[in-house]
Amino acid sequence: MAQNQRPASILDTLGEEIVRIITPVSICMLMVVILVSILSLDDSSSSSAMPTIATIAYSETGSDSSWDKFMGALLNSLVFVAVVTAVTFILVLLFYLRCTKFLKIYLGFSAFVVLAFMGGEIALFLFEKFSFPIDCVTFLVILYNFAVVGVLAVFISKMAILVTQAYLVVIGMLVAYWFTLLPEWTTWVLLVAMALYDLAAVLLPVGPLRLLVELAISRDEDIPALVYEARPVAHHDSGSRDGVVRRRVWSERRNVLHDSGGDVNSNAILSGNAGSNLNSGVVLSVASGHNDTRLAGAEEGRVVEANAELSAPLIDRRMNDNMHRQEEDDTSENLLLEGIGLGSTGAIKLGLGDFIFYSVLVGRAAMYDFMTVYACYLAIVAGLGVTLMLLAFYQKALPALPVSIMLGVLFYLLTRLLLEVFVVQCSMNLVMF
Amino acid sequence: MTVAAGIGYALIALGPSLSLFVAVISKKPFLILTVLSSTLLWLISLIVLSGIWRAFLPLKSTTWWPFALLIISSVGFQEGLRVLFWKVYKRLEDTLDAFADRVGKPRLFLTDKMQIALAGGLGHGVAHAVFFCLSLLTPAFGPATFYVDRCPQMPFFLISAIIALAFVTIHTFSMVIAFNGYAEGNTTDQYFVPVVHLVAGMVVKSAFARCFCLLSQKFSLLRILFLIVLKNCQLSPETALVVFVWLNVLCHACSF
Repeated sequence: MAQNQRPASILDTLGEEIVRIITPVSICMLMVVILVSILSLDDSSSSSAMPTIATIAYSETGSDSSWDKFMGALLNSLVFVAVVTAVTFILVLLFYLRCTKFLKIYLGFSAFVVLAFMGGEIALFLFEKFSFPIDCVTFLVILYNFAVVGVLAVFISKMAILVTQAYLVVIGMLVAYWFTLLPEWTTWVLLVAMALYDLAAVLLPVGPLRLLVELAISRDEDIPALVYEARPVAHHDSGSRDGVVRRRVWSERRNVLHDSGGDVNSNAILSGNAGSNLNSGVVLSVASGHNDTRLAGAEEGRVVEANAELSAPLIDRRMNDNMHRQEEDDTSENLLLEGIGLGSTGAIKLGLGDFIFYSVLVGRAAMYDFMTVYACYLAIVAGLGVTLMLLAFYQKALPALPVSIMLGVLFYLLTRLLLEVFVVQCSMNLVMF
Repeated sequence: MTVAAGIGYALIALGPSLSLFVAVISKKPFLILTVLSSTLLWLISLIVLSGIWRAFLPLKSTTWWPFALLIISSVGFQEGLRVLFWKVYKRLEDTLDAFADRVGKPRLFLTDKMQIALAGGLGHGVAHAVFFCLSLLTPAFGPATFYVDRCPQMPFFLISAIIALAFVTIHTFSMVIAFNGYAEGNTTDQYFVPVVHLVAGMVVKSAFARCFCLLSQKFSLLRILFLIVLKNCQLSPETALVVFVWLNVLCHACSF
């Protein structure tokens, strides 16, 4: 009708990047919830789970008192965080010594292990549950091909972006499912501990992640890690006549250094701009086809920082999981990256560790009831939005985990203790408002 | 009763909102964010209410006045929150207009504002449907069903699904009417919304003796509401048709 003749209002494109990040996070959470509810085990059988590094200090049994469980969970989490810190420092060291090739090979190896072994085990659980008839050879061939394509998707940047994104979400889902197999108290305390660790590692000057970020900035290199990159937003408006293309935060910092002599250490600013702000903002670069003229602008690197509409600072972190399996002797480590950043085409990047821990929280909530799932989902998405806004406000590197996890845990407790009783009571008496 | 029945109940409660979402909301990312934040806001309101009322639960089911008190206090709280929502929305509108000026795009049109109101209302409705109906549906996927004393003619899940459907519609369009009323200073519209909310809550509670009577009352109310909305807003014809057809189908189904 009349809408066809009207020029497009800002409502058409505002917020697109946020939605492009929220969608894969939601899909990952949804798949973990589905997996958990299909494959849910009761408590007695889950206590015989394989020893992992997260339960090395204390194995939770059903008969301990609450205080014992809590202290045991605390001990477990401390051990886990200590291991993660140690491994992160090792990674910083390796990155400093320029062993990038080793890191990349390790990355591919860990992706293969996750997809082949963890994915294979979950597939076996599903086959068992649904009595699905399949023979060994077919299964192995399919699994092998699946895992190899996944490794290629992670390695090669020229792969179709949808395939890469899908594989990253699948990797996140598989690791998150395995985390939900931990005992209950350990999972919750571990989530809180990882959120606090994230906070410390990114904000403290001696934090390993901060060191990693600064190293990467000073060398203008990409850290080899598992990072989800959203598809860049194509701006069809007349865009960058005066606008500046921000390609990567590292080159950005270097240019700012040349232009303004600014302090590199203080902040790494990225702007994700949903609607291009011609005079006093930053324009994101467009999908690859249109990049040419704007790349030239990027090299000059004129930065106008005044009114970045949406700033998500670069937080590069690295996190390792150690999952011991009974059959394996070696530890398999995954290189996961947490935090929000800006990719080379200007799209928002989100580390896979965030995907995993959000999904672990929601998966654990699913083991109780679906009401907690909905509440925790809303809390996590709200936390993600708040994190982006906080970053726009503080213009400083901030971690992505703490706000979401804290909100998620808070809402889980409130829902479980307060809301559920209220709603069930009201519904039973047909009191609805 | 089975997975199919469970999915059926879920679709009864959330079908129109799903169609609204796919047709109108999913095209504009800002509206998706509005739906999510609105749902979060009303979830918080429910948590606050449950925090206040937790000490008094479980209520004795013989007398009626504790429930009336519960409904009045809850509806009052939610309507107050709606006014707060409106104030936040005004500030957001100013920010968006300033942004549009800076970027060189036109300011928010009336349809844009109404779409934001619709998204806000949809968030409210979805919050109700999810927490009052969907989260209780887990047993419905199993082999049996459940009946409540108050209305033994129908399974509880069906009752809650149909009531949730009614409330989704009420909440979605109440927000549009309320925002329109606040914007134009139209006091009729401003008072219409809380009154409808209160009446709907009370009707559900009081007419438990005859379930079908209750449902047809609820839906006549809905039809009136819907006609008022159609008068005030410019919904796209497809959306209006879809929702109206849904409503009519259900009204006729319930009044056999």
